[in-house]
Amino acid sequence: MTEGDFGLQLLERMNELTLLRHGGTCFKNAEENRQHIKKGESLVQLRKLSKNSAIGSGASAIIIAAGPSVRKQDPASQIRASGYQGAVICTDSATSYCLRSGLIPDLIVSVDPQPSIIRWFGDPELSRSEVEANDYFRRQDLDERFIGKDEIQANDELLELVDLHGKKLRIALSTTTHPQVVQRCLECGAQVYFFNAMHDDPDQEGSITSKLQQENGLPAVNAGGNVGTLCWVMATAVLGKNPVALTGIDLGYYEDTPLQRTQYYDAIRSLVNEEEVGRFFMKIHNPHLDQTFITDPAYHWYRDAFLQMVLDEPSETWNCTEGGILFGKGISFRPLAEFLSKFEAMGEALPERKGAA
Amino acid sequence: MPSVLKGNFKTEKTVEVHDVVDDSIEQRFEKEALKHLGGSVCFVAKKQVDWGSEKDDGSKKDSD
Repeated sequence: MTEGDFGLQLLERMNELTLLRHGGTCFKNAEENRQHIKKGESLVQLRKLSKNSAIGSGASAIIIAAGPSVRKQDPASQIRASGYQGAVICTDSATSYCLRSGLIPDLIVSVDPQPSIIRWFGDPELSRSEVEANDYFRRQDLDERFIGKDEIQANDELLELVDLHGKKLRIALSTTTHPQVVQRCLECGAQVYFFNAMHDDPDQEGSITSKLQQENGLPAVNAGGNVGTLCWVMATAVLGKNPVALTGIDLGYYEDTPLQRTQYYDAIRSLVNEEEVGRFFMKIHNPHLDQTFITDPAYHWYRDAFLQMVLDEPSETWNCTEGGILFGKGISFRPLAEFLSKFEAMGEALPERKGAA
Repeated sequence: MPSVLKGNFKTEKTVEVHDVVDDSIEQRFEKEALKHLGGSVCFVAKKQVDWGSEKDDGSKKDSD
């Protein structure tokens, strides 16, 4: 028995396991969402807006995801304090953090097909019994305001915040997102831009992605395994931003995080007993920080995918997460303060960024 | 199985019966459990965006 050996074995099967996990739900969602697509726009329109300089001033962009570093680094406060005016793109999971920090992102991205994703936008139907039955969100190392002292109250506050700023929000939604999430995004007044998440190579015969495209006429976007990477794809390949800074994309946990507080712990425990859980988690030393982080097979797979994708991307990528395991060829691992000061110095920033609070 | 199930009619064509090789309970359990470890969405090791036929510059089919 070796630490991480099961995790490493699983890496090669992650795409297959992902399709097994979500494939059926994705296509069911896409079918149900057909009726909603005409209520939004195609991602093509978002690209046009960016070409007309309507999304963030200047060429740069900052991604905000909801990794554990966000609590330590607080990128939204740094961005607001700097007066940065470039595009800010956030994951659905970071919406609460951004809005509660007084930062209205220029684009929010959502791709996961589960109905629980609605929690990132505030769930109008959330009940006390549902909260008690599901501790998923409480176990995650999220911005503590997402759970608050009372999860129902925190959800109500988020509902209000999203509704209040809804008309100022742009949300890029995959057609495979759960219909309740699509409905929530449309009902809050946000401008929704639809796309198909890539499930396979659209140029291959019999491609599922190509079939979806033929049915709804929307572009297909490679999400790289997760919504954080998808935000980066949106910034570079859709909005044409360069350079792009990443924050909150840890793809791992701080070394002292109890394994029970990691997102796949329950799934792993359903496979093995407590003594063997460690065989699914790997440790990676980050030489830029001289610090070791824990990662699981899914996060490690996202890292591998990102490192592959970044090599084909002409835009410059800075990882300003200041934590985690995403480093390697094609990525400049530097503090966010350096990115902000460099692009302020280049005259991109204006004195005050619009706030949400 | 064919010795137990007997119909009261004759089929027009000969029906070939193949033994169904099913996963063992352990394999099915493993498959079911492993799928919870999958990622959020697939990764396609090729291109970032396929604009299909809708690209804004008027071109018919392109990719980035």
